[in-house]
Amino acid sequence: MQYVIVGIGGQGILFTSKVLGKIALDRGAEAIGSEVHGMAQRGGSVVSHFKIGDYQSPLVQAGEADVLLAFDQGEGIRNLHFLRDGGSLVVNIHDEKAFENPNLLEYLKKRGIKVHSVKGYDLLREHMGGNFLFLNVLLAGAMCASGVTDLAFDEVAAAVKELSPAKFEDANRKVLQLGYEAH
Amino acid sequence: MMEVFHTVSTKAILLGNEAIARGIVESGCLVATAYPGTPSSEILPAVAKFADELASPMAVEWGVNEKVAFEMALAASFTGVRSCAVMKQVGLNVAADPFMSAAHFDLKGGMLLVTADDPGPHSSQTEQDSRYFAMFAKVPCFDPATGAEAKEMVFDAFDLSERFGIITMLRPSVRVNHCRQSVDLGEIRTRDEEAKFVKEPSRWVCLPASVKVNHPRLNRKVEDIRTAFETEFSKYNYEVPAKKESVLGIVASGVSFSVVMDMLKGWGREDVSVLKIGTPHPLPLKMVTEFMARQPKVLFLEETYPVMELQLPDRTGILGRWNGVVPGAGELLPEVIASILAPLLGREAGPGGEDPLLKQALEDLKVTPRRPMLCPGCPHRASFFSIRQALPNAVNPSDIGCYTLGVNQKAVDAVVDMGASVTMGSGFYLAHKASGTERPVVSTIGDSTFFHMGLPGLASAVYNRHSFVLAILDNSTTAMTGGQANPSVGTKLRKGDEGRKVDIEGACRGCGVTFVKTLEAYDVRKGKEVIAEAWEYARERREPAVVIFRHPCMLLRPEQSSIPVRVDPGKCIGCKFCINFFNCPGLVFNEETKKAFIDERFCVSCGVCVSVCPHGAIEAVQEEGR
Ligand SMILES: Cc1ncc(C[n+]2csc(CCOP(=O)(O)OP(=O)(O)O)c2C)c(N)n1
Repeated sequence: MQYVIVGIGGQGILFTSKVLGKIALDRGAEAIGSEVHGMAQRGGSVVSHFKIGDYQSPLVQAGEADVLLAFDQGEGIRNLHFLRDGGSLVVNIHDEKAFENPNLLEYLKKRGIKVHSVKGYDLLREHMGGNFLFLNVLLAGAMCASGVTDLAFDEVAAAVKELSPAKFEDANRKVLQLGYEAH
Repeated sequence: MMEVFHTVSTKAILLGNEAIARGIVESGCLVATAYPGTPSSEILPAVAKFADELASPMAVEWGVNEKVAFEMALAASFTGVRSCAVMKQVGLNVAADPFMSAAHFDLKGGMLLVTADDPGPHSSQTEQDSRYFAMFAKVPCFDPATGAEAKEMVFDAFDLSERFGIITMLRPSVRVNHCRQSVDLGEIRTRDEEAKFVKEPSRWVCLPASVKVNHPRLNRKVEDIRTAFETEFSKYNYEVPAKKESVLGIVASGVSFSVVMDMLKGWGREDVSVLKIGTPHPLPLKMVTEFMARQPKVLFLEETYPVMELQLPDRTGILGRWNGVVPGAGELLPEVIASILAPLLGREAGPGGEDPLLKQALEDLKVTPRRPMLCPGCPHRASFFSIRQALPNAVNPSDIGCYTLGVNQKAVDAVVDMGASVTMGSGFYLAHKASGTERPVVSTIGDSTFFHMGLPGLASAVYNRHSFVLAILDNSTTAMTGGQANPSVGTKLRKGDEGRKVDIEGACRGCGVTFVKTLEAYDVRKGKEVIAEAWEYARERREPAVVIFRHPCMLLRPEQSSIPVRVDPGKCIGCKFCINFFNCPGLVFNEETKKAFIDERFCVSCGVCVSVCPHGAIEAVQEEGR
C-alpha cells in the first residue's frame, strides 16, 4: 500500500506518517516513508510518502500511489499525478466549486480516480471552536471511513492516542469520530 | 522538540536522523557536537534523548557554528575517546579548514563526521555533494541507502576510523535523513576508553614538516581502506545479479539504489544486474570494474556529483553524467530515474507524467505550488515592514534563516551564506564610498546566525568604520531548522545540563558598536523611527549601528494578546500595499472583489497588520468572529 500525503507546511501532515508508521509497526509489517522538514515547512507545499510492505525506497513514484491524502484541496489536485489509475483521493475541501471543473472531472474519470471529500474547516469550526490544528486527526478518521485503505478505526484510534499528548486524548477521540462519520 | 518513540520489543519506527543518532549513542561515542541545518538537524537532539534514556555519560552540544562543533569533536578524538560532529552539507564548507587538516592526523579515538546532503535542493543554498569533499580530503565515506543502513554504518565508520586512525564521513542524503522506517534498537556497546591526552607534538601539531610525513601516510591509508572496502564490506557493497541474462548493469549508491530496486521489482524486470556501493570513496575499483566487464552496458546512478564515475580509470564506456545520460543537477527522483531507465530497457516510463487535462484544470483553478512564507504572526514580518518603510531606498543584504523569506516583502536584496549580511553591508558601503556616492544599507540577520558567523564581520566593520545598520532579528530560537537553542537562548540538550545565555547587546558593544537599541518587533511605528535614527547615526559617525528587533518565534507558541482583525471593504481600495509589503498568509487578496480579506484558516490574531494599511482599512474587532 502506497500513500502520498500532501498539504501546506504547518498543517501537521507529518503526524499522519507517524500514525501509519505506528500501525505498520504494531502489525509487524515493513514500512518506509519520506517526509519534508525545513524551509518548505514554512507555509509551502509539502509532500510525505509512506509505503507499507516490501519496499526499499522511501519515495512513491508518480503514478503508483494507492491513496492521496490531501490536507488542502489545491495541493490535492496538484498532486493527482501521484495516484495510480483507479487510486483514491481523500481531500479536505474548502471550496466545492473546484470539483465541478469539467477538465478535472474528465481527468478523474479517465484515470478512474475516486474522490472522498471532507469539509474539514467547516466541521472544525462547528465542533472544535475553529481549532484547525485537529485537521490531521480529522482526516485520519475520514480516510479510515472511506474504505480506501485496510485501516480499522480502532487501530487508528490507538495510534493517535499513543502518538499525542495525554491532554488531547478526549478531543482527538472526538475529532477522529467526527472525521469518521463525516465521510 | 522531541517526540515519543514507539517500541515493540527492540524495533521502533524512527526518522533516519533518529536512527543515525541511535547508532552514535550505541557506538559508545563520548562527545557529539553539531550545528543545526536541514536535513541533519534532528540528529543531535535525538542523540541527547537516547543518551538520557540509555544513561550514557556522553557530552552532547551545539557549537555556535560547524567549525566550532567540528574542532570540539576533533580534540576529543585526540584524547582517545570516540567523537562525532554533525552538520549539513554547506556546514562542511564552514568546517572545511579543520576537516582538511584532520585528514592528515593519525587520530586516536574514532571520529565520525556526519554531513547531510540535500539533492533537490529542498532547504539549502547549494546542491553540493559532500562525498566530493571526502575525496578532496582523502577521507573514507559511507553512503547509506536507508535510515536503517545509516545506523549500521555508524558502527563500522567508528571501527574503521580507529583501525586506520582516520576521520570517516557518513553522508546521508535528505531522503535518508527524513525517511521513516522500522529500525532495530540496541544497547550501548561498552568501551573502556577514557580521555587520556598524551603530549606528542609531532602527532598533534600540524607543522609543514609533519605534513611531509602525514600526506604520504594518508595516501597509504586510502589504498589500505580501498582494499578493505573491496573485501570486507560486502554488507554495503554487493551485487544483486539479474535472474535472467543481464541486458543492463547499474552501479548505484545511496537512495538511488533503493529507488532502482523498487522500480525494477515494480516493472518485473529480472534482466538487470545492480551493483550496490555503500562506500563510494575510496571506490572498491576492482569490484566495480569486474562487474562492468560482465555487463553489456553500465549505468551509474549516484547523487549528486559523479563521484564514483570520476574514480574510474576510464569512464568513456559507461552511461552516466559525463555523457549527459544522467542529469548534472537536481534530485534523482523516481520519475527521473524512470525516465533514464525506461528507454534503456525499451519500455514506457509509466503513468504519472504530465496530463493535458490536469494541466488545464490547474490553470482554470489557478492552482500553483505554494511558496514558503513566514508564518502568520512571525515577528520577522513586522521587522521587515519597519525596515522597508523607514528607508525604501536602502540596500538590504540579508542572511540565512526564516527571514530569508523577507524576499516576499521586497525587503531582502542579496543572500549568500551565513554571516554575509554583515560583510555585504561592509561591501555595499565600500563600493559606494569608493565611487563617491552614498546609499543607506540595512542588513538583517537572525540570532543564531549572528553568533554563527556574524560577529567577525561586525568587528571588522567597527574596525574599518563602515556605515550601515545591522538589524538583528532575535526570535529567541533557530527557527528555520526547527527551533534549536543557541547562545542567545542559553539552554542545552541533555537533561540537567545548564547553559549560560550570551547577551547580544553586550556582544555588539564588546565589538565596539556604540549605537545598540532593542525594541519590540511588533511595534512597527517605533521600528521605522529607530531604523531611520540608526542610519543617520551610522552615516554621521562612520560606524555600524545595531538595532535588535525582539519577539519570540511563533513556533515557541508565546503567550501574547489576541487581536482579531477584519478588513473594512468600504475602506479597502485594493492597492495591495499590505500584500506586497506585509505578505501574510492570513491576509489575502480577492481578485474578484479586488479587496483584501482575512483568511481565518491562517490568521493568528497578532494584530500587527492594523498598523500596516495606509488607508486604515484593517481594524481590530472586539467581539468574537469577524
Ligand atoms: C553553514 C550553514 N549552516 C547551517 C545552515 C542551516 N540553517 C539555515 S537557517 C539557519 C539558522 C537560522 O537561525 P536564525 O538566524 O536564528 O534565524 P531564524 O530562522 O530563527 O529566523 C540554519 C542553521 C545553513 N544554511 N548554512
